[in-house]
Parts: sequence; structure tokens; C-alpha cells
Amino acid sequence: MSIRSQLLKGILDGCVLAVISKEPVYGYELSKKLQLVGLPDVSEGTVYPVLLRLQKKDLVYGDMRPSESGPNRKYYSLTPKGIQALEIITNEWQQLSVPVNSLLKKGDSK
Amino acid sequence: MKLNELIQQNNEKRKLLTKENEKYYTSMVVYLRTDLTLSEQHAEEVLMEMLDHMIAAQNEGKTAIDVFGDDPKSYAEELIEQLPQEEKRDMVKFIGQLTFTLMGWFLVSRGLLLLLFTSFTTVSTTVYMIPTLIILTLIGLIVVIGVKLIFDLIRRSLFNENESDKKDMIKAGLFGVVSFALIISANMFIPDFGSSFDFPASASLGAGGLMLLVSWLMKRNNK
Repeated sequence: MSIRSQLLKGILDGCVLAVISKEPVYGYELSKKLQLVGLPDVSEGTVYPVLLRLQKKDLVYGDMRPSESGPNRKYYSLTPKGIQALEIITNEWQQLSVPVNSLLKKGDSK
Repeated sequence: MKLNELIQQNNEKRKLLTKENEKYYTSMVVYLRTDLTLSEQHAEEVLMEMLDHMIAAQNEGKTAIDVFGDDPKSYAEELIEQLPQEEKRDMVKFIGQLTFTLMGWFLVSRGLLLLLFTSFTTVSTTVYMIPTLIILTLIGLIVVIGVKLIFDLIRRSLFNENESDKKDMIKAGLFGVVSFALIISANMFIPDFGSSFDFPASASLGAGGLMLLVSWLMKRNNK
């Protein structure tokens, strides 16, 4: 696995939690929304191992509901623990992103 | 959704996939299903989500490789790593049901064979406890090792295209021959000793039938 995708893996959890926090989604919708915001290197199927991991950590839960297009789908929502985790990740990211951005940009201009 | 419904729906929906996508997807299904330590319910649920996703993506002109990447084995292993294990209680139930089924068929076949042979020759219906137990344990062991061996062969051959099929077939066949020889020679060479009782054809059929009924009831309750 490349360094890049390892970095992505860690951040992906936060992104998935953020998408689910807006409204409950099923796997296919989730991958579409991630691609829509412009996470390019995420192949669609990546969401399923991530969703399993987040369920294992009790951050999200799935329940079967009829979807707009008809058949039953498993819709994912955040658990209270998931809401907390998203807050922590958001805070950490905000603390990190500004210094990392300026640092990496400086490196670029040299 | 119940396990049986999930599996049935999976079989139906899989027909909607193109040949290549079906092949890719099915190899992942087999890889997850032959991992007997996984929670079946959870595995089937995520497989169904992936299938629904695959069908939707296919309608947009995408292939399985576009959706799940070009390394299905690592993808499947990532899923397995995150899936919960089957609960011990369910494992015990499964093994119990399997034992009842095997023993049931064994006793019914024995009863039928005895009936067949006694019509033209005399056959002893005496059963010696200890030798019988040894042989049954041997058969049980061979079944367990056989299932593991064959599942391992299947899992290894799933994702590589090169034709190790012939070698695998020889391995599986060899296992069959050796285990058959073992059971036959155990039957022939273990002497009759210890306590014994008469176990006629009718009793064998009755006991076997009862065991099959129990295994059928267990199966029905699991649904």
C-alpha cells in the first residue's frame, strides 16, 4: 500500500462519518457523495470495508429500509459515539490542516 | 433479513450481472463463504450491499474492477478482517446439526444394506462399542480434514487464473483414495473386542430416521 493511500485511509473514516452525519445513506449513495466532493482515488467499493470497520467500533449502525428506487437498502446512521468521534476528528483536522497546509506550500515554493 | 432469504436473493440478483462482473463478484462470495469462522449473517449482508452496488454501477457502464479495484483478494481480505466472527453457540449448533445428518444417513444406509444382504446371506448385526467408536471418530476426523483441505484448495485457486486446477484435482482425489483406504482397513484390521450389543436393521433404520428428523428440525428452527 502506498503512503498516500495509508494517509487517505485514516482520513476516509472522518469523511465517511461526515457524510453520514448529514443524513442516513446506503453504501452506493455514500460512495457517490464521496466522489462528488472530489475524493478521486477512492474506488467505490472502498466504502464497504470502511463501513464494517466503523460498525465494529460502534460509530455507525445500519438498518434496512425501503429506498427511493424500491428495494430495501441498508441505511447507515451515526451512533452517539460516532457523533463524538466526528467532533474529535473535525477538531483535530482543523488544528492540523492550517499548519500542514502552510508548511507543505512553503516546501513547494522552494 | 433472514440468512436464507439473503442467500436466495443473492442467487437471483447475481443473474443480472454480466459474465465478467459475475465471475469477479462470485469469487469474492465464495472466498467469504468458505471462511467458516465468519458470522454468516454479517457476511451475507455486506455481500448483498456489494451486489446491489455492483448492479447499479453496471447500469452506469462500470466494471467490477472499477468498483472494487484490481485486487479482489486483498479487498476480500479487508472485508474478512472487519467482519465479526461467528458466535461459538452458532458454531456448536452447526456442528451438531452436521453430526446428526451424517450419523443419520450412516445408520439408514447401514439398515438398508443389512436388509439387502440378509435376504440372501447371513450377516452379523452385532456392534462392538469400542471399535465402532474408533471408526466413527476416524470418519469424523476425515470429514473435518477433507472439508478444510477442499476449502483451502478452492480459496487458493479462486483468484489466480493459472491452471493449477489439475494439480488440485489430483490432491483432492488422492485425499479421497487415502481416506477410503483408511476407513476400509480400520474396518478390517481392528479386532472385535469389548462390550457389544445386537443392533438389527430395523433398529438402525429407526435410529437413523430419528437423527435425520432431529437434524431437519434443527435446520428448520435456524431459519
